[in-house]
Amino acid sequence: MLKADTLAGTFIFEPPQPPPLGSILYQEHLKLTDKSRLAEFAGYLMPLWYSSISAEHSAVRQHTGLFDCTHMGIFEVSGSEAAEFLHIVTTNQVASLSAGAARYSYILDAAGNVLDDIIIYRRSEDNFMVVVNAANEPKIKAYLAALLTGRVILDTDNPNRQLECKPNIRDMRDTATAPDCRVDIALQGPTSPNILYTLAENDDLKQKIETLKPFHFIEADLDGINCIISRTGYTGARIGFELFVHPDNAAELWRRLLKHGEKSGAVPCGLGARDSLRIEAGLPLYGHELAGPFNISPFEAGYAWAVKLDKDFFIGKSAMQQAANSCDMNVARIELPGAKGIRPVRQNDGVVDTDGICVGWVLSSAKAGERQIAIVYADKNQSQEEKEVGIYYLARSESQKSKGKKQNVDREEKLEADITGRVVSRFEKF
Amino acid sequence: MVVRELLYTKEHEWAKLEGDTASVGITDYAQNQLGELTFVELPDVGKQVTRKAELAVVESSKAASDVYSPVTGKVTEVNSELEAKPELINEDCYKAGWICKIKITDTASAKNLMDANQYEEYLKGL
Repeated sequence: MLKADTLAGTFIFEPPQPPPLGSILYQEHLKLTDKSRLAEFAGYLMPLWYSSISAEHSAVRQHTGLFDCTHMGIFEVSGSEAAEFLHIVTTNQVASLSAGAARYSYILDAAGNVLDDIIIYRRSEDNFMVVVNAANEPKIKAYLAALLTGRVILDTDNPNRQLECKPNIRDMRDTATAPDCRVDIALQGPTSPNILYTLAENDDLKQKIETLKPFHFIEADLDGINCIISRTGYTGARIGFELFVHPDNAAELWRRLLKHGEKSGAVPCGLGARDSLRIEAGLPLYGHELAGPFNISPFEAGYAWAVKLDKDFFIGKSAMQQAANSCDMNVARIELPGAKGIRPVRQNDGVVDTDGICVGWVLSSAKAGERQIAIVYADKNQSQEEKEVGIYYLARSESQKSKGKKQNVDREEKLEADITGRVVSRFEKF
Repeated sequence: MVVRELLYTKEHEWAKLEGDTASVGITDYAQNQLGELTFVELPDVGKQVTRKAELAVVESSKAASDVYSPVTGKVTEVNSELEAKPELINEDCYKAGWICKIKITDTASAKNLMDANQYEEYLKGL
């Protein structure tokens, strides 16, 4: 299962593929939607939508959406060497992170491959909670274990470098590990604080929730249920929370949030809206806007600030120094017409400049009201804000293939755009 | 929802036979699975189609799905209203959301379609 290529410093992991499981909120989903609406994602059966993707998307923009994120991986890194360990294993600053604050960061292998993008929550001087992508959870678990047992190379420039610090690492979703366990439920959108206020047991807590800043969190009881209440999320909502709760309390909290959220317009949201919201906001998804077939670096993705090249050392640093200087391609967000009857753009469609030259590819796309937002990987010079760009649709059907539509396109290829739009800001908040 | 007088395929298309012509669309189960449709690629009028071969493409924001022909024949008419209003398939898949009409050239091709009862049984097993 685990092979470490000691020469290249590439961490190779072949994930196990067990049959999909229902998430911890599976029974709640079955109350809200038909079983046929559940689809496999990262080994879990998750709802794609409950009402419709567009209704759930706009609920988050106008009111609030409730998301099952219990499939996200959560690890605790603790002990006196925890901060030093994360300093070496992740790209962003850890020492300057204060208790009660969270920070976006990356885990790389020594060759500089991005293994995941993560958020690190510092709960105390020597206790951290690390939230990783569901799809990468088995890989990160294996990587962290391999680091602790010295089975991976840390530094390609110095293959003898050893990891001196050995913190305690445990899977916080596994209730066999310790009493303090957590899974993630997200509550995102402008009315989300009101819902938390109704569950808050006193004015002091309401005050704390009201003044909680983005990327900060508190630990408190909501209606008798202990939660880590964090101003983080993946929807682009200016106001939104992730609630980290014991797995045994997740279903109860979910039900109470739905019940008390009703008058604030809160609706449950599936993976479809989760994806369209993050695309509209420009947020990257591992495997699409980060790593993936184009091996997109954090610099190309627009996250240079999360890779601190001035740190003395972190795993993958020398590769990142090179990546920082070699990005003629970058990730950009474009806006296109998206009314009904307009063919949706899709992953791998060609990005075409005004001269009809292919300058990149679509990574992700979504419908947002009457517009479509596509996140593309394109020539930096051709994807600056306000530039006009076109999209060439790849063949979606046999009949299009027979009419000469291509199934893939290369850079520099001459193509006729099927639809035109313009580059907009890399990110957008709502 | 399944309509009595129609015939069905395992791929969730319906066909309404009138003489040697079949009106064709996708079923309520199919539109429900696909979600909100945003685009329909209609076949060209005059196109020769064979049973189980690609007839049209319906697209939601998440996926493009092929619609297969329930019969063998020639496309005589398409519902061009779907070009601007693909949502007709979501709203009324058995009537306003029809996709095209096919003049059947091989009557045997329509023999193995399921009736409403058989299709309902088939849906229960999914």
